[in-house]
Amino acid sequence: MPVIDIKNLKKYYKVHQKEPGLSGSIKSLFSRKYYDVKAVDGVSFDIGEGELVGFIGPNGAGKTTTLKVLSGLLYPTSGHVSVLGYTPWDRKPAFQKQFSLVMGQKNQLWWDLPAIESFILNKEIYEVPDAQYKKTLDELVELLDVADILKVQVRKLSLGQRMKMELIAALIHSPKILFLDEPTIGLDVVMQKKMRDFIKEYNQRFNSTIILTSHYMDDVKELCQRVIIIDKGKLIFDGALDEIVKKYANHKLLTVVFDKKVDQDKLSEIGQVKEFNFPKAVISVKRTAASMAAAELLQHFPVADLNIEEPQIEDIIREVFTGADVA
Amino acid sequence: MRKYFTVFSLSFQNEFTYRLNFILWRFRNVLRILMTLFLWTAVFSSRDAALGYSRTQMISYVFLVLIIQTLVLAAPSNDNVGGEINNGDLSNYLVKPISYLNFWLSRDWASKFLNIIFAVIEFSLLWLVFRPQLQFSENMVHILLGIIVWVVGIFTYFFLTKMAVFVAFWYPENTWGIMFIVLVFMEILSGFIFPLDVLPTMAQSALQFTPFPYLIYYPVAILIGKFSIAHSLQFLLQSLIWLFITHFLAQKLWRLGLKVYSASGR
Repeated sequence: MPVIDIKNLKKYYKVHQKEPGLSGSIKSLFSRKYYDVKAVDGVSFDIGEGELVGFIGPNGAGKTTTLKVLSGLLYPTSGHVSVLGYTPWDRKPAFQKQFSLVMGQKNQLWWDLPAIESFILNKEIYEVPDAQYKKTLDELVELLDVADILKVQVRKLSLGQRMKMELIAALIHSPKILFLDEPTIGLDVVMQKKMRDFIKEYNQRFNSTIILTSHYMDDVKELCQRVIIIDKGKLIFDGALDEIVKKYANHKLLTVVFDKKVDQDKLSEIGQVKEFNFPKAVISVKRTAASMAAAELLQHFPVADLNIEEPQIEDIIREVFTGADVA
Repeated sequence: MRKYFTVFSLSFQNEFTYRLNFILWRFRNVLRILMTLFLWTAVFSSRDAALGYSRTQMISYVFLVLIIQTLVLAAPSNDNVGGEINNGDLSNYLVKPISYLNFWLSRDWASKFLNIIFAVIEFSLLWLVFRPQLQFSENMVHILLGIIVWVVGIFTYFFLTKMAVFVAFWYPENTWGIMFIVLVFMEILSGFIFPLDVLPTMAQSALQFTPFPYLIYYPVAILIGKFSIAHSLQFLLQSLIWLFITHFLAQKLWRLGLKVYSASGR
């Protein structure tokens, strides 16, 4: 039985439109034009226990809205949503004790107090027994390596340190489900990597179900076996990461390094030249014709080095979003 | 219950974070007491009675008002709840098994608790310096009833101001304006600025049917023995009715507001 089950979820917002400038502001005092924004428009998926799912899409695609519906902050316009058998927006304490929502751009820690105080508060809010609290805290502190900054005022922590503390605060009640909305936003690459390692480790060690949204493809590539892509409120892909490549990338890239000058026009006969910068060229060819094209290159051109590659996932996804033909 | 006690304790610690701010805040409080004291001393320097109050009665009234208001009016929730609704920080609480109203009630009580500790110290010092003549009811029943009405008023004030703040659910841009108007009205109509019995009888009896005088005027007036026991009991009963009404309405508005909040999201 899936822990998260969404069928045909729709969430429309009413937004009022304001003409630009002062006169527009005055007009909007008296009459307002409203229009519907379809933040989520008929999305269905289910997620099983222990899955780590990447939820990606451009800004405004509906990712955060979906997470908010799943955590009970928003109720949907229509559709069926069940999380651990509960209807999220009933906000039952028994349900709330089993999940956690971490938003990279919002914090729950008390700004003027050391993070440990916020942990204690969460322990009480979630009614975690003393022994379990101690064990969980020790484990998390060790995993994230933050023992020395537990008693430092939150405002004095760096963004990376604070994010680690936010994670601990969110995990102190050992939630079965974790919603991570941009957990690595604004972090440097080293810290991003540490966060990723932690999320992976946490998922494996506790078999918790995790949904992660991120703008950084590296997060998704490294962490998620499965990705769900939405755009403009609609689900456009749900499956393994490699499947995206198979489904959307019907081309492969040949990267060639030449010994001597070659004629670019002649190269065009082999495939579409994406990049030509002597001695290096990148040629895009049909997936099925890749080995033929490689053989031809080797035969007719002064090739020093040749590589056949899948296109970058970033490129594929970007082109899926922009609706361009995927190379 | 324990979760709210922890909230109380954290808020208490939080208040001590900024030492300078804390000292200035207490200093401001002492200044305010001094100013009120000097004002009324000046008024009574050339006469023995004004507005139907003798010098001792009036000084007792304002002195008590200043003590009572430290517990009634101190409420960090007034400054924060509207903002949290506007910027969406409310979401942090909504996903947790905790009542947002009780959370802020606990935080308010922490602030009140701190306030009363320092108020007692400051008032004792000032009293030692100026030795104003004070006159309270000698009947312990008055004192008891006065204190109960006072405590009931503290809660009524909380729910009243939260009703004003919940407007943020519908008009996110206007919270502070509405709060300000409500607070000004409340200060005048509660008897914070002057004792309400200087008003025409008509106005006084009309005010009885609003929640405001129960916040400050009635507890103070009962404590200084202005009313008979029977009257005091009647006011206690009415203050309880107001507590019930404001509690009900605040809860109602909260639930309606949450519907709007979870329809639109912030």
